[in-house]
Amino acid sequence: MNATKIVRRNSLVHWRAWRSSFFLSVLSPVMFLSAMGLGLGSLVEEEQAFGGVDYLAFFATGMLAASCMQAGAFSGTYPVMNKIVWQKNYDAVLASPLNVRDIFLGEVSWSAVMLTQLATPFFMIMAFAGIFDSPLAILAIPVAVLVGTSCAAVIMAYTATLHTDEAYTWLFRFVVTPLFLLSGTFFPIDQLPAWGRVVAHLTPLFHGVELVRQLTIYDLDPSAIWHLGYLVALLGVGVVVGIRNFERRLLP
Amino acid sequence: MATSASSEPEALIQAEGLNKLFGELVAVDAVDFEVRKGEAFGFLGPNGAGKTSTMRMIGCTSPPSGGTLRVIGMDPVSQASEIKARIGVVPQMDNLDIELTVRENLEMYARYFDIPRDVANPRIDELIDFVQLQEKVDSKVEPLSGGMKRRLTIARALINDPDLLLLDEPTTGLDPQARHLVWDRLYRLKQRGVTLVITTHYMDEAEQLCDRLVVMDKAKIVTEGSPPDLIARYSTREVLELRLSDDAREKLATSADDLADRVEWLPDRVLLYTETGDATLAAIHESGIQTYSALVRRATLEDVFLTITGRSLIE
Repeated sequence: MNATKIVRRNSLVHWRAWRSSFFLSVLSPVMFLSAMGLGLGSLVEEEQAFGGVDYLAFFATGMLAASCMQAGAFSGTYPVMNKIVWQKNYDAVLASPLNVRDIFLGEVSWSAVMLTQLATPFFMIMAFAGIFDSPLAILAIPVAVLVGTSCAAVIMAYTATLHTDEAYTWLFRFVVTPLFLLSGTFFPIDQLPAWGRVVAHLTPLFHGVELVRQLTIYDLDPSAIWHLGYLVALLGVGVVVGIRNFERRLLP
Repeated sequence: MATSASSEPEALIQAEGLNKLFGELVAVDAVDFEVRKGEAFGFLGPNGAGKTSTMRMIGCTSPPSGGTLRVIGMDPVSQASEIKARIGVVPQMDNLDIELTVRENLEMYARYFDIPRDVANPRIDELIDFVQLQEKVDSKVEPLSGGMKRRLTIARALINDPDLLLLDEPTTGLDPQARHLVWDRLYRLKQRGVTLVITTHYMDEAEQLCDRLVVMDKAKIVTEGSPPDLIARYSTREVLELRLSDDAREKLATSADDLADRVEWLPDRVLLYTETGDATLAAIHESGIQTYSALVRRATLEDVFLTITGRSLIE
């Protein structure tokens, strides 16, 4: 499949250009985990507020989905804008027999590969820390990857409409960061006012966090279908709109 | 056309009434042209004339808005991948993977074309020799000079051994030495029978490389022919350039029209378009007009171009 050629190109460039970032991308959630989970968690003793688990388990499972969302969102911004606007690498790809669909599917697949490389060590650390013991827990990896990949697809579709990187400042400040804070990663959304709960239900991260927790520290619930359905639908919309936007942009 | 199909070389590109619109803006306005196998064909024109838009339509990365276009006998919208497998594209701006090495850039591109490794590897070695990057083969692209990047872009465009090579302003921004090296490589490709389509706003480039060219201005093709043809049609064989005192200018003004086919008065010089510059100069000296300096030169495409599109800046 032609999309794998894009994955291969990106992984080669990625390891060249970001040799140190793999370490950082694992290190920063681990630092977060220790600071928030162990530090803050030691002060939080009301376990029933977190569904009968300690705060470290609650926070770590949320963080798996949240860090994939952040990394996925980022992968749809500067790296893609670079290939559209600054270095114009996609023009080079399009001068070969590959087409826009190959490029977009390749980029989305690459996000999934990159996020798997991020989620797996994170998952291992949680497993060693004894946060969960269900065999279903391993499915938290693909779910976290799905959260990040669907965000990547949507943001790539948006990137194809931009001419400068100015919009990213507010995208991260007013969309990604609030999502990160309010989707149940740090505290259960029951703590939010009613309108906040409604907003949380509309966000991809909330569904991802819920699904990851059901697979790891809580019991699986029929709502899992709805959470999974939301994420798959978001990925589908991102891909369809993304291919259309890429076509408009790259084949003017 | 009356010529029979058998004596006529196969047309690699045929455009009839080809249009490109961007909203209200007409980028290419009903152009007709034909590029034959083995020739070097040029699009000459100022910035914004529609050259790049035309090239992108040929390269299957911009769907035509109207008219017909066939590239290697195929339709660039429905058969884009098939066409792209047989052409090479050198874009205006180098779009190499600057994080990768010279060799990796070529290997990656070979994969896009599904060229098997045992075919690609010897071809890559050959292309690196051809563009004289042997010493840089394992260095990253980013620190290379502009001329080296350009040559690598040309090598990359040749990875599929194309029938047709599209070059959009291949030497813009290069220093004179680097330009001559690129011209030399393109000339060799032409000798090997690769069909070249070149856009340029450099007259010397068009004259050096093109067998036939069209001049584009304001989205239209304004004329077509070989460089010597165009010079014969729009200019005289020679041009006499004179620098004169104000007095001499005035004196010359009264008789210039009898001395030359056409006279152009520039702030610092007077250009007299004439068949034999030396004879015209002798006639001027005989009539008692003193010149500070006089230069007889062969007419160039630049004279043609400025005659057609005018001297005022077109933006």
